[in-house]
Amino acid sequence: MDEGNGIARRVGAVVKAAAIHSYSLILLFLVWEGASRLGLARPLFLPSVTDVVRQFGALLASGDVLAPLVLSLYRAFAGLALAVVVGMIAGLVMARSKWAHWALDPLVSLAFPAPKIAFVPIFILWFGIDSLSKILLVAFTCVLPMLVATYHGAIGVSRTIIWSAEAMGTPERTLLYRVILPASLPYVFSGIRVTTPVALITAFTAEMIAGGGGVGAALMFAQRFFQTPTVFVYILVMLITGFAFDHLMVRLRDRLIPWQDETERP
Amino acid sequence: MALSPELTFLPDEPRWRWLRGTFRLLPIAIFLLIWQVVVDLDLVDRSFLPSVSDTFAALWQLTRDGEIGLNLWVSMYRALGGLLIGSVLGVAIGLAMATSERANEFFGPLVATTYSLPKASLVPLFILWFGIGDTTDMLTVVLACLLPVIVSTYHGVKAVPPVILWSARAMGTPRHLVLWRILFPGALPSILTGVRIALGFCFVLTISAEMIAAKSGIGKLIFIYGENGAYVHMFGGLLAVILAAFVADRALLAVMSYLLRWDDAYHAASAHG
Repeated sequence: MDEGNGIARRVGAVVKAAAIHSYSLILLFLVWEGASRLGLARPLFLPSVTDVVRQFGALLASGDVLAPLVLSLYRAFAGLALAVVVGMIAGLVMARSKWAHWALDPLVSLAFPAPKIAFVPIFILWFGIDSLSKILLVAFTCVLPMLVATYHGAIGVSRTIIWSAEAMGTPERTLLYRVILPASLPYVFSGIRVTTPVALITAFTAEMIAGGGGVGAALMFAQRFFQTPTVFVYILVMLITGFAFDHLMVRLRDRLIPWQDETERP
Repeated sequence: MALSPELTFLPDEPRWRWLRGTFRLLPIAIFLLIWQVVVDLDLVDRSFLPSVSDTFAALWQLTRDGEIGLNLWVSMYRALGGLLIGSVLGVAIGLAMATSERANEFFGPLVATTYSLPKASLVPLFILWFGIGDTTDMLTVVLACLLPVIVSTYHGVKAVPPVILWSARAMGTPRHLVLWRILFPGALPSILTGVRIALGFCFVLTISAEMIAAKSGIGKLIFIYGENGAYVHMFGGLLAVILAAFVADRALLAVMSYLLRWDDAYHAASAHG
């Protein structure tokens, strides 16, 4: 068996698998292109795929994709970072102290199901129309899931491990740093994985509602002037961003916490 | 490990239940009290943060005027209607994907690529297509609720122990009965977890869509009060949203606990928090 033939067959198999695994997507694009080519929908309502791709290229070249995207990502991840820090501290404290649990539990239960996006007008009133209000809204949206994830990680730590540490005279602070925190890290990480798309969605949506730059605001601006291809471009930008970061988080998890088996993962 | 302190000195009798409950909810009262005192002592500007009493008074006034009732009704109709349609479709697609390889090949890539799209980004497009109103808002909610329900249904069906399936088939159970009597109930705990996630989404999306563009709805109401500087009413409206979302979540939990009364695993999990 010669080498070239094997590679060719393998490439063929990959292409075939890719075609099977995405034929519905290809079909969707074909129907979309066909509908707009045949004039079933006016370009104002449904521009053709080729128009959208061309517009994507033009906006990429002029920097009108990258600049708003960087601003949106800054807001999303600054807010997420704040939520991770605050959520981890609050979650650990809640897991270790009865009184902290008593004080926080009813407030968390009440706030958890509330749609945080409804706070947009209040955050504008308090923190202005610029980045700060969006960062804090993202943090507010993500902090509760982070708190709950950390809490569940910390109370899930096996009692025997804690008892052994305490029997060896480990003080509470060291216990937190050296035992409970590392043991709850997989939960924290899975919390971050769940909240990353939430952070992105919240940042984009807040920009759509309140303006002030970013991909969301750019999308609304394009819609106001009936630049439908541009609207599609920014929707695609949001889709690709969310998709890319979701995959990145899965990769990171496998790299950072390899000692967690798939079955053990929360 | 740490759970809340209980009033253990009280005798374990039903007549003391209310006192235990009050003690558990005390932090909320303390929180409201601190808020009230901070505003009354003029530590913050009243126009930035109205006091608790003013906020509740505004909520009461808006309720009496019918302003909240009407707009909350419109929003609930959009949110819960969208949730219902999205859940039914989601369960159907999820069941199809889990039982048929061809359905899985068709829907799988669509679900995987659209999962991370913020559904609110479709609102401007839907406005262009359907105008401002119920169709746009509900369609957005349906799409947002669809995906978590599809995914949880799919995983729920896949987690049904194959032994049960084999026994059913060995006894000659027809295909549609296997689906209806075994796979659906077996996946129900997972499906309902997905519906609970979707319940959260349906409120977020309704309010987002209403704040982006709408003629009515509680999201629009809050937004208008904010733009016009009627901040006490804005806080009143927000309070109504928080309470409505909380009540809806608790109602769904009650329904879940009734529907899953046969499921020991669910009750064991919910007893531990």
